[in-house]
Formats: sequence, structure tokens, C-alpha cells
Amino acid sequence: MTRVIAITGKGGTGKTAIAALLIRYLTKGDRVVLAIDADPDTNLPETLGCEVEKGIGDMREFMLTQRDNLPPDVNKESIFESKIYEVLSEMPRYDLLVMGRPEGSGCYCYANNLLRGIMDRLVKNYDVVIIDTAAGLEHFSRKIIRDIDDLIVITDGSRRGLRTAERIRELIRELEANVRNLYVIANKVTDANKDKITEIAEELDLELIGAVKVDKMIEERDLLGLPLFDLPDDSVAVEEVGNIAKKLEL
Amino acid sequence: MADEFPFEISPMFEGERVRKDGMYVELAGPKSKGFELVKAVGMDEIEDGKFTLIGPDLSEMEEGSRHPIAMIYRVAGELVEPDLEAIVERRNHDFQNYIQGVMHLNQRYDIWIRVSKDAVKKGLNSFEQVAKATMMLFKNELPFIEKIETTYITDLAEAEKELEAAMESYKIRDERTRNLHDEDVDVFYGCTLCQSFAPTNVCVVTPDRISLCGAINWFDGRAAAKVDPEGPQFAIEKGEVIDAVGGEYSGVNDLAKSLSNGEYDRIKIHSFFEFPHTSCGCFEVVGFYIPEVDGIGWVDRDFTATAPNGLPFSTMAGQTGGGKQIVGFLGIGINYFRSPKFIEADGGWERVVWMPKNLKDKVLVDIPEDIVDKIATEEDVTDLESLKAFLIGKDHPILERWVEEEEEEEEEAEEAIEDIAAAAPGMMQMPAQAMMAGAVAPMAMAGGSGGGVKVILKNAKVSIDRIIIKKSE
Repeated sequence: MTRVIAITGKGGTGKTAIAALLIRYLTKGDRVVLAIDADPDTNLPETLGCEVEKGIGDMREFMLTQRDNLPPDVNKESIFESKIYEVLSEMPRYDLLVMGRPEGSGCYCYANNLLRGIMDRLVKNYDVVIIDTAAGLEHFSRKIIRDIDDLIVITDGSRRGLRTAERIRELIRELEANVRNLYVIANKVTDANKDKITEIAEELDLELIGAVKVDKMIEERDLLGLPLFDLPDDSVAVEEVGNIAKKLEL
Repeated sequence: MADEFPFEISPMFEGERVRKDGMYVELAGPKSKGFELVKAVGMDEIEDGKFTLIGPDLSEMEEGSRHPIAMIYRVAGELVEPDLEAIVERRNHDFQNYIQGVMHLNQRYDIWIRVSKDAVKKGLNSFEQVAKATMMLFKNELPFIEKIETTYITDLAEAEKELEAAMESYKIRDERTRNLHDEDVDVFYGCTLCQSFAPTNVCVVTPDRISLCGAINWFDGRAAAKVDPEGPQFAIEKGEVIDAVGGEYSGVNDLAKSLSNGEYDRIKIHSFFEFPHTSCGCFEVVGFYIPEVDGIGWVDRDFTATAPNGLPFSTMAGQTGGGKQIVGFLGIGINYFRSPKFIEADGGWERVVWMPKNLKDKVLVDIPEDIVDKIATEEDVTDLESLKAFLIGKDHPILERWVEEEEEEEEEAEEAIEDIAAAAPGMMQMPAQAMMAGAVAPMAMAGGSGGGVKVILKNAKVSIDRIIIKKSE
């Protein structure tokens, strides 16, 4: 069975970094991963060290603009599926898909309906799917990906970050999204704020499954625009993400 | 299923994808060339089960390499005819995906195939195995195929040469499908994808009428309904023809009633005024009746200014949507302009008086030549007065309706005003005839000269534009 994990959180909390490190952990552990960047501000490819030109959104747009030029009796789902495969970046042990371009003003009901079927089939080919997504959970409301095993909210030391987690809990209830578990990971934690974060999480009844300390190596790489995928094993963030993955039984 | 093959064959493998890591070879696809083609031939033209390969075989291909591939199937049988070619060809995708370790994407000249390393390890080393398995499936699953012969081409020059001939076949096939009309089929398709937004809306998709969103044609409905008959797209048996011109069918009516929860029980799919098709919120274009000229204007989503009736798309879209039968407004998909049955019940293109320039340009070649210059755009007119003048200047066929109307006016006057009075509260549902007719009513005016005054109400909706008081003759 494919395990589907979505990673979200307030902007700037480092959700993309955590997603990249989880993918790093999984691929080193011989798992085949599908990484999906569902954040309109596409950062995951760069963080993984992978170049992506086009996304699912572009292909959806292609289907909309070209539909009257296609032969009338062709199977559009099969064309769309092939188009999605075209924008899949195939890397060693993981593939990457970018959602990219959002919907325009027309009707996307049919295209999204096709996309659901295509994604259902694609997802089954992987051991784990990691989705990096904005806190609005736009693609979940559209049910492009229907079932989430674990939704992980990344928070920083701020109360606002944890409030976001609380709001997301509400949102998944409202969206009737199929989410099995909700967890919180505290990121960029310092000795000064660690206890406070734990306290607030308990207060809000959120399950904290890890606290990633401020990592000098990540800061340096971020500054230089270097990918995080090839961080050394002794980076504090890599170590903690490894611990978290074990807790998640990945 | 078959012990002779070194791979398993099952629908279970349909969704299986071969990743780059696990790929032995890639055939055709976006970075190479290829196609698949099924041709119907005579019984004595082929040898059943024969396979020919032109170019290198799988065993001669290097691991990780990419090659072109053309797959040509010639089929014969008493019931095999050219009309079936497309349907048979489509199954190549299914059958090759049934083979464990083979991935087949897309169709026609866009096919994209991969063979996995695992499959090669297990003994898949020749295209003959793939072709034989595919031929076996064709004959098992489509029993009307009595004989089948296959040629695969992996040589680029040969494949390119054959592709030219194949393109010709596709072209002929497309022309045939474009000529498919409502009367040629027994089944239409319904779509309820929009019922989440408009719970009583049912989109009826026919060969001559695309869905309102423009995304689903009759063939798409057929494909989806076949895969999942309980899904959002489903078959509608046409049933009896009630009105061939307006497009009314007993099967559609029955279904409309049940799916709209009894909201309405008749639909005329090619009619603007009588039992029109309902609209969700997804339509690409809204048609709006302009009573002042007895014509229909069309405005699309991208046109942000106001139409000659003073309303923008968004306002009219609000009136149109929601899954109700609204006489006076109609949502359609752009491709419906290309239908030979385009609002046939109401005079078709002869009833069209205005469209935004961009929209008109998009469908320009589909507008009948004798009317194309007589349809105004925002570059020609800005309001009803200038529209009227334009139509008169261009001698638009709509003028004939004005003459008829004036003649009828006197006779039907009294009847019409009664209609208006009855229909006035539900302004948008008002019968079109009542909306367009001028109304004349004798009235006793206070201070008038003894019953000798006529009050004429022109273009009466809820408010009154004009009251003309004339001395009775």
C-alpha cells in the first residue's frame, strides 16, 4: 500500500526543507517516492536539486485550450495521463511532480475529474508519496489527491505557527478531507523556545512528533541556494528527520 | 491465462508504470516517433496470427535506449468494418497494459511505451511475444475479429514512411466522426459533474451538442460511461423522437425528470425558447434574448464589457446558472456554435444578432457565409439603438421577423396583454412570445374623451419603457 504524507504549515516555517529531508531519508532507505510540490510558490525542485520546467497546471491548461483541436473521438484521459507523465521528473529512486500554474476562470470540473483518476492510478506505483503544500490545502479541497494518511503541519517557534496547525485541523474537518493522522513538527527550534512550543502544542491538543533544531548547515546552503538533498548524515536536521520518520514507521 | 508467455497477463497490471530506474527500453514517446493503427481488411488479405518485424528486435536493443515503434494491426471478419477501426485500435492500449512489465500510454501517433528490466529478466526478449499476446487478447475480447495479422516497425525510416499513410487513415476517420449527428446514435450522455453547484442541472451531451463547459463531447461521454457507468457521465437512451428539430426525446425527458428531482420534465436540446436546456455555472457562453430586435446575442466569459442590453457576462451568468429552465438565457459551450443543429428550433444563425469580436473570430469559419457580416460586435454597436440601426443597415434576416410581428400585432394584442399580466411576477420565465410582442389595450382614461383612447404598451416587462397614447380612429 502507498503511504501518502502531506506536509504543510504557515509560510516560512521550513516545510519544504522538511519535505526534502524526508524524501532523502526514504530514498536512502530504498523506498520509491513520488514527490509532489503542490505549493504555488514552487520551491521543492530547487531544494531537491532538480530542474522542472512544467507542471500539472500547464498540462491541465493544455487540455483545456487544445480540446477542440484534438480528434473528436480520442480518449482525453489517456492524452492527459501521458501529458502528466511528460512533466514527471524522473530522478534516482524518486519522481517529482509540480502542480504549478493555478486554475484560470473557466470550468475545470471535467479536467480535474480526469486528473483525479490519473493521480489515483499513478500514486499506487510508489511506496510513499510526499506532498509539499500551502496551508490553504487547495488541492485537497479539489480532491485531486483523495486520501492522506498523515498530514504533518510544520511550525516554527511562534504561537501563530501552532495556530495554523489548529486552523488546518478545522479545515480538514470542513473539507471532509480524508486524513487519517494529524501531526506537528516544530522546526528551527532553539533551547530557549523548545519547552514553550511543547507546552502550546499540548494546550492545543496537537501531537508533536519531533523538534528540528536550527541547523547551521541548512542556513548556509539556503543562503547559497544549494539543494538540501545532499546534506551530510551528521546534520542535526537530517538526524531529527530520521527520528521522526522512525516514529511514523516509515 | 497463457503459459506460452514469459509474463503474466491481467487487467490488474493496467495502472502499472515503468519508471526510468526500472526501464529496459523506451519506445516512441515524446522524444521519439511511433504510432498504432488498426485497419479493417478482407478475409483473404491476411494470414491469421502472422507477425512481421521490420527493424531491430527487443533482444538487439541496448538497456536504457530509446527507439521508434509503429504497430499496425490488420483485422478481418464478417462483422469487421472500417467504422470499428477506432474502437479496436483503442484496445491496444488496454491489452498492452495487461502485460506485466509493459507500459502503454496515449494513442495514435502519440503512443509511449516502456518495457521494464524485470520483464526482460523474466524472459521477455522479443516483440513477437508482445504482438502474439496482444493478438490473442484482441481475438478473445473482441470475438468479431476472426483474423488478425500484425506488423511492428522499429526502423525509423520505415516507421516514418508508414506514419504518412497512417495519418491519412486518421484523417478519414476524423472526418467520419465529425459527421456523426444526433440522429445517427441511439444513446446520448448525461453529466452531473456540476450538480454539486446546481443540484437540478443535467447536462445532455449529444453528437451535435457539446457540454456547457465545452469539455465533454459525445465521445468523451461514451468513454467515461463505459469505464464507470455509475460515474458522473452516463448513458441516456434517446427513446422516442418527440421533436426532431427542437431536439426533444422521451428518454431525455424521463431522465431530466428524475435527475432534476422533478424540477422540470421536458428538455429540447436545440431550443432557446421552449423547454431549454438548463445551465450550471460552467458554461463558456451565455445567449441572451433581446426583445427589442427579437434576436439573440451571445457573450462569453472573457468579454468583460457590457453587451448591447447593458449587462455584462457576470450578471447574465447569474441569471442563467443554477440548473433552472430560464427562457431568455441559455448557457452553451463554444463548440456548440459549430453544430449544424445550433438553436435549430429558433432559426439557428439567422437569429443571432450580436457577439463579442473575439468570440465571433473564434467561430468565424463556422458562421454561414451569408450572415457572417450581419452579426454585430462591440466594434459595430454599443447599445440597442445602434444595434437596431446596424441590423437594418445590413439587412439582417431578423428584419423579416419584425415585419411578421407588426402584422400580428393588431390581431394578438388583447391576448398578449393578458399573457404579460400573468407572467409578470416571474419575469425571466416569461414566455418569449409575450415578451416580444407589442401590446395594445383599450383603456378608459380618466378625463379622456369618452372611451376614444388606446394605450399601447411596447416592450413591457415589469417596468414600462414607453406608453404611447393615440387617438382612436
